[in-house]
Amino acid sequence: MNDPILSATDVKKTFGTVEVVRGVSVALQSGEFVSLVGKSGCGKTTLLSVLSSLDRPTSGQVSLCGKEIVSASENELALFRRANIGFIFQSFQLIPTLTAWENVALPLFPEKMPEEERRERAVSLLGQMQLEHRLDHLPGTMSGGEKQRVAIARALINQPKIIFADEPTGNLDSQTGQAIMEILESLHREHGMSILMVTHDLELSKTADRVLRMQDGELVA
Amino acid sequence: MRFSYVWREISLRKRRHLTAIFGLSIGVALLVVLQVLSRAYKDAARMPLQEIGADISIQRSGDVPQELQGAVFPCSAVTIHHQELAQIGRMPGVRAVGQAVLMWVFDKDQFTMVLGLDPTNPVGPGKLRNFVTKGRFLEGDAPQALVDVTSARDRHIDVGGMVTILGRAYPVVGLVDASRASKIAVANVYLPLHEAQSLAKASPQVQAVSPFDADDMNLVFVSADQEAIPALSTALRRLLGDKTSIASPDSFLRQLGNLFALSDKFAAATSLIVMVVAFLMVFKTIAGSIQERAREIGVLKCLGWTNGNVIGQLLAESLTECFLSGLLGLGLAWAVCFLLGFQQVKIPIPWEMSPTPHFLPGGGEPVFKVVALPAHLSWSISLFAMSLSLLVGGITSILCIGRITRIKPSEVLRHE
Repeated sequence: MNDPILSATDVKKTFGTVEVVRGVSVALQSGEFVSLVGKSGCGKTTLLSVLSSLDRPTSGQVSLCGKEIVSASENELALFRRANIGFIFQSFQLIPTLTAWENVALPLFPEKMPEEERRERAVSLLGQMQLEHRLDHLPGTMSGGEKQRVAIARALINQPKIIFADEPTGNLDSQTGQAIMEILESLHREHGMSILMVTHDLELSKTADRVLRMQDGELVA
Repeated sequence: MRFSYVWREISLRKRRHLTAIFGLSIGVALLVVLQVLSRAYKDAARMPLQEIGADISIQRSGDVPQELQGAVFPCSAVTIHHQELAQIGRMPGVRAVGQAVLMWVFDKDQFTMVLGLDPTNPVGPGKLRNFVTKGRFLEGDAPQALVDVTSARDRHIDVGGMVTILGRAYPVVGLVDASRASKIAVANVYLPLHEAQSLAKASPQVQAVSPFDADDMNLVFVSADQEAIPALSTALRRLLGDKTSIASPDSFLRQLGNLFALSDKFAAATSLIVMVVAFLMVFKTIAGSIQERAREIGVLKCLGWTNGNVIGQLLAESLTECFLSGLLGLGLAWAVCFLLGFQQVKIPIPWEMSPTPHFLPGGGEPVFKVVALPAHLSWSISLFAMSLSLLVGGITSILCIGRITRIKPSEVLRHE
């Protein structure tokens, strides 16, 4: 068996005196689609931020794409995320003053590359999301489904090894949510993308290869 | 740094940025206008002396003439000896000196103010050369006279005619409009210096009050290095005594009595206060902007922007904002300076420097030199204001670096 793309050992995360994540150990194989489910407040978003290198665990080890993220500096982690990770958020998190294609190209802005190349890559991804007609539109003028498709295109712009999705359909109606899930599914099936998706919707979680359940900061069987 | 991002941020979030831009631009405009005003009043104060090619004029007060008959010296301008002039010429900071003899001449039926000048010396009344309206200026030491246009009209004198002073006849070679020139050392008739010295030396009234030699004078003009003027004034008073009147740009500035003319310190302090207020306004806006955009900064960090990338972007925003503020401020300042240029400044000329007998019509009335306020927006002030504006942007950004680096990328998930 190959080395897992993500592995966490006895990860704990405490805020003040509150232990939000209690000794979680988990592994994700390359090309695997895993969903993390649990009730609101059970610690799944905190676990996602620790596993995705957005936050550091209070204790424990996290290895992502072969990098030990606990000991890495903030700048190292930023560069690591830029090269390896895609994020999809519940509230899309698009920059309101940038157009659709600029939002998609946002992770590439710090990179030294010709402007044309940036735009071409963004336009190509927006084309795959059927948003060719929205290239120069601001997020404020788009529907929720369009915004989330822009966010997915943004997550893919740096050709990531793994995508972390936090409640990607949480702010969408069921029909649009279904469409977004189909995109994620096709990314996994057709492109072998590793995905860790946090959701509280048990029905959606069934799309994944494997479902992890979280309760009171711990993974349960 | 990406400029389209900077520009969109400023142009699409107008409310937030325009407040800072207007605030800082008003600060910049005030700073520039205060500096321009301060400089303009100084330049205006320099004008009366500048028009006679000098930076300092020197007179010595003495006794009132015992009899108003023949040639007398006004009590505000008695003899300065040629040895003293030589000493003045050797003082550090002195570039050149000029001299003149100013006399009141009481002939049988008329009063004449006579000024003897060196037509070849550009320091002093030799500058009147530029105000000749008819004929020519004095040349050499040959006995000849230049007559003020008003006096010429009143006395029906013209070029080619003669004017008589204490029985000596002088051919009139030109007319001069001294009213357009400085109000200092004006007269009805201008003679070569040597002639005036000769008249003064021969006058018993002059000799009785203030012994006068053939090479002496009663007005001295000094062209000096600007920075040496205050020290020179002190040294001149020490040399010539307490009864000496020394007129310099500073003394005219004090005469103006304007708030802005009082001191550089006032302009500097006011400018500093204005810039501190502007700085606080920009800082508040940028700090507020960082607070409001914590989630956006978190998103950027999530997507792989380093702290340096984020700081560079916000620094560019801040500098652009301050650059626009600087431009707008300079535009406002230019408009204000343009309007200030229409303002006239009345510079009072002390009676001692333009002495007319009190018994004459208009004698003793205050004399003013009226000039348009030279309010010019110089490149150096513009550059200074623009640099200061950018500095404000730079410093505020640097002060905000701590806040930016403290924002964690996980911030974005916390607010989901």
